[in-house]
Amino acid sequence: MESRDAVTDGEIVRGVLAGDVELYAVLVERYRDRFARYAVRMLGSHDAAEDALQDALVRAFDRLADCREPDKFAGWLFLILRNRCFAEQRRHQREGRLSEDAAEAVAAPERSDGAVERHEQARELELALGQLTAEQREAFVLKHVAGMPYEEIAQLTGATVASLKMRMHRAYDRLRELMKEYR
Amino acid sequence: MMKTFDLRVKQLLDGDLSLADLPPELRAEGEEALRLIAAVDRAPVTLTPALDTRVMTAVRQHAKSPARRAWRWLAAPREVELRLRVRPWAVWGGALAAAAALALLLSRPPAPAPSAFHNVAFVRFVLYAPGASRVAVAGTFNQWDQAAAPLVPAGTAGVWTTTLALPVGQHQYAFVVDGRRWIADPAAPAVDDGFGRRNSVVAVTTQGARTL
Amino acid sequence: MNAFWLALAIAVAAPPVRGLVAQDVATRLEGRVPPSVARAVQGIAQDARARGLPVEPLIQKAIEGGAKGVPADRVIAAVQLLAARLDEARSALRDAGIQHPTPETLESGAYGLSAGLSARQVRDLGRVSRPRYDPALTLRVAATLSALGVPSERGLQLMEHMIKAGRGPSDLLDLPSEVQVGMARGATAAEAAEELDAARGGREAQGEHDQRDEHGEEGGVTRKP
Repeated sequence: MESRDAVTDGEIVRGVLAGDVELYAVLVERYRDRFARYAVRMLGSHDAAEDALQDALVRAFDRLADCREPDKFAGWLFLILRNRCFAEQRRHQREGRLSEDAAEAVAAPERSDGAVERHEQARELELALGQLTAEQREAFVLKHVAGMPYEEIAQLTGATVASLKMRMHRAYDRLRELMKEYR
Repeated sequence: MMKTFDLRVKQLLDGDLSLADLPPELRAEGEEALRLIAAVDRAPVTLTPALDTRVMTAVRQHAKSPARRAWRWLAAPREVELRLRVRPWAVWGGALAAAAALALLLSRPPAPAPSAFHNVAFVRFVLYAPGASRVAVAGTFNQWDQAAAPLVPAGTAGVWTTTLALPVGQHQYAFVVDGRRWIADPAAPAVDDGFGRRNSVVAVTTQGARTL
Repeated sequence: MNAFWLALAIAVAAPPVRGLVAQDVATRLEGRVPPSVARAVQGIAQDARARGLPVEPLIQKAIEGGAKGVPADRVIAAVQLLAARLDEARSALRDAGIQHPTPETLESGAYGLSAGLSARQVRDLGRVSRPRYDPALTLRVAATLSALGVPSERGLQLMEHMIKAGRGPSDLLDLPSEVQVGMARGATAAEAAEELDAARGGREAQGEHDQRDEHGEEGGVTRKP
């Protein structure tokens, strides 16, 4: 019996479109954790990230017919999630919400030696990230959290490598400024 | 005014330079920058498993809501709507599609889902006709009128598709290519039409369409 | 919501609901077939109606011919053939003990005959279709199996085994799709049907005759291929 993992995204998409709705669960399983980190780092909280991912996955299902290249479902889903995260951030900014709960998103230290200090630094960086623009934050998360090379980020987001670097360099400076403020 | 990072330090952060590439006067700044970046939480994130359940619950509801689908179908008739309980007999013919169908069929048996609307079910028609300029489906459900149900190009090149609401019962149909060529659905059972050609057959039940 | 669905059904030109009295043939065919065809079909339909056969499939066949641009004499011939098949199906079903087959069952019978089933096979299917199995359904399944390329005797055997094994109507309805799965794997229609028979119908039919062991599992001899 062929296992589910042998089935490509494209095949699953086509199967769902042909009527096998339950197959969509395979895609959900494949991408929930893969994009979880991005969503958490973008939105600063697990809860917000779960909401965003849930919305994105359901929306992707609703609009599955518009996925022109079923084999590139991952990239297409990412864009839906990305739009959702950006919209959420814009809403936060409009509502004047501080990203204090961003600190909660940072993993708690398991050991005490050195870990607490690192945890503190991570909290501060998380707060600082919340002060960046959505584009700057995204570039940072993709490069330094997800470890993507610029070329891949460019493909994913549609920006050029040059503009990404410019964006990132501004982010570096802003982060430096913010981190100094926290000390 | 806040001092910005030197460009070379930024390039260090980008991974385009190493610490050793920096001149001595920039080493300290470089190390400060690296410490800043290193502070970011890279721990993999696991969200609650309940997320999957919530997503699939919503997905099933959306799939079962033909009114929503139908509304979008009516409002944007050229947009392809594809929510239905059909077994994958409407996949276009060919070895690749057959393999895909096989993989799908082996990976998960479709669960039955009763239609919320008792006498109608949605059926999707698909035809691979790369050279065609127009394709329609005509059958007992539309009085064999080829103007009634045109297919639209789907996302993949050469693939034409449409979704129709068909009443419960058995239907015969054929595709009409370029207004003159009547061809049976390569993926459906075919019967003699009495005129020297073949018709395809589909049965619509309250559980959706079947190869029948 | 019901009004919405009615509108939708009209919008997609739904065919007449079963059970409605067939409209006047001439009205239905006007503009769709040449007058000569309309007149001929009217005669065939009147004759059929008098013999208690359904008229709707005849009208549909004429409309189909007209839509396909088929020459008039061929349309008339096809409608006559269909009327004859409806008649033949009714005889076969009466031989099976079904004295008053529904129009749907008759259409399924005619469909079976056009798909390559013989009158005898229609009769045999009618016989094994107990109350649980609607003969319209079993005939359609058998006809579709034949349309897929399963030799009619093979298809019938598979169905009979499944019926004897107590498989539900839904399982029968699944057979054509399952044969298609087998064919996608590279088997011929006949081979696919045989595999299904061995896997489902045959073994269980055999098992039914054997004693179930004390654990309630099916015991006994496995069916020899």
